[in-house]
Amino acid sequence: MRLTILKAMFIRHLLILKSYSFNSLSGIITMYIVFCLMFFGVQAMVPAGSIGRTLEGMLVGYALWAFAIFAFSELAWELTNEAQFGTLEQLHLSPAGLRWAVSANLMTGFLYNTLILSLLVALMMVTTGKYLRVDLIAVIPLLVVTVLGVYGLGFAGGGLQLIFKRVQAFFQIIQFVLVGCIVAPWDRFPWAKYLPLSLGNRLLQRVMLDGERLWELPLGLLATLVLLNLAYLTAGLLVFEAATQAARRKGMLGHY
Amino acid sequence: MDTVLEVSQLHKVFPGKRKVHAVNDVSFTVGRGEVVGLLGPNGAGKTTIIKCVLGLVLPTSGSIRVEGKDPQARGSGAAHLLSAVLEGSRNIYWRLTPRANVRFFTGLHGLDGPAQKAYNEELLHKFGLTDNADTEVRNLSSGMKQKVAVVCALAKRTPLVFLDEPTLGLDVETSYELRGLLKQLAADEQRTIVVSSHDMDVVQDVCRRVLIIAGGRLIAAETVPDLLALFRSRTYRFVLEGRPDLSGLQAAFPQAAVTASGGQTAIELLLPNRADIYRAIDLIREAGGVLESVTQPGPDLEQAFLTLVRRERDNACA
Repeated sequence: MRLTILKAMFIRHLLILKSYSFNSLSGIITMYIVFCLMFFGVQAMVPAGSIGRTLEGMLVGYALWAFAIFAFSELAWELTNEAQFGTLEQLHLSPAGLRWAVSANLMTGFLYNTLILSLLVALMMVTTGKYLRVDLIAVIPLLVVTVLGVYGLGFAGGGLQLIFKRVQAFFQIIQFVLVGCIVAPWDRFPWAKYLPLSLGNRLLQRVMLDGERLWELPLGLLATLVLLNLAYLTAGLLVFEAATQAARRKGMLGHY
Repeated sequence: MDTVLEVSQLHKVFPGKRKVHAVNDVSFTVGRGEVVGLLGPNGAGKTTIIKCVLGLVLPTSGSIRVEGKDPQARGSGAAHLLSAVLEGSRNIYWRLTPRANVRFFTGLHGLDGPAQKAYNEELLHKFGLTDNADTEVRNLSSGMKQKVAVVCALAKRTPLVFLDEPTLGLDVETSYELRGLLKQLAADEQRTIVVSSHDMDVVQDVCRRVLIIAGGRLIAAETVPDLLALFRSRTYRFVLEGRPDLSGLQAAFPQAAVTASGGQTAIELLLPNRADIYRAIDLIREAGGVLESVTQPGPDLEQAFLTLVRRERDNACA
């Protein structure tokens, strides 16, 4: 049954993406333009000799941030939209439950996002002339594990949406918070490595810039990455579960 | 008739600064293949009851069983047995076509494969949506959108279906069509359908039994004929040819309302004692009146509903 739900979500995702093709395309173009402005802005302001690996690092960080934004939107914004469409309660009526319906939506979203962002990264590399090492055996697991933490934030945000309804402003702030998580310097703030995306970004840079293999990465850091992001995911799921129960108690699951 | 839905001593109090007692000690059962009307004024608690059964609202106390399973308990399997149209055409994706919507919602219910596809197509055909099955829902009329929402609920083939205002926004012809289809589905597939509607004609036409809710309480649970019988008055209407002198009748029955128009005279007469009907006919005959018809105007469901709800409100205020 869960596979059938996953298939249904996949097809719906594809059809809606097609229906909103202009919106989808303009989102990607906007991200590309913002990246170009940032990249060429930094290049113009900082003397070439002192930039070092900054530009390549920026490329990795930006791609990860874009992926995180897509992942967060998949959950938090989707729940807002579903409530507005009037379909959220229908998702809850699925025999597998709202959580699985939402998770199936996430999984299909992950596939689409991977495809779209791969194209975006390729475009960014061609534009900047900075080519990253894309070792899929290392990049995909690191990306999946890193994004799990963002899904945790998304579940928590979605849970807040179920209760407070108008939380769009909070969602927008999250975009900037995620930037902060990626760029937070570990040397000044040692605790920053425990922020979502931070450790994942560093490890992805080691793979994509330094060419390290997955098994060459320190085991301790890999274990920390997995445990940390699972903790974020679990916490997000718990918030979502508690919020769903509260919304059912208050009879406001379908409100918007 | 075996029981599909059993609601027992259901209470729902919405928490907050001002607690709202939305459902108060409601108990009822619904049998397999029944089409039941859930009636009540706005804010009576109908939707809360439906959502409690669907597991969308947590009851404060009481028990709900759908084929013996608790819809509030995760993994009980009750969700397989339930489908609903809750907010009409808002329950579907307007950016998808009717065919894609039906496919998505049945898929969401874990249903797929050629047999399901064939059933989806059959329903789309029955509801007259085949020609527009590949048009985005947002481009369809409100009546068609409503029909797509109903098809999406029915296509899940659940034994229990809740339809909240299924004929809202439908024109007269489509409304009649939908009523016929619901009756047919209940009869052919032994589907149990609970219809919540403010349209009494729909409920009277489609439902075998009605549950009337007022102020969160169940105030009546009767078959439609039994409910109407409770409110049948002993008023008779006699229509006579011409304009005979009815002074004798009026003297014997001072409450008789006599009106003459054209070449006919109509008499409205309340006769609490059945034997009085013969006396009235004798007096009409003595006056030289020729009877064209004698009828007993029956109450409709709307009158019965209003009487019950007002009585309940008066009792609550007293």
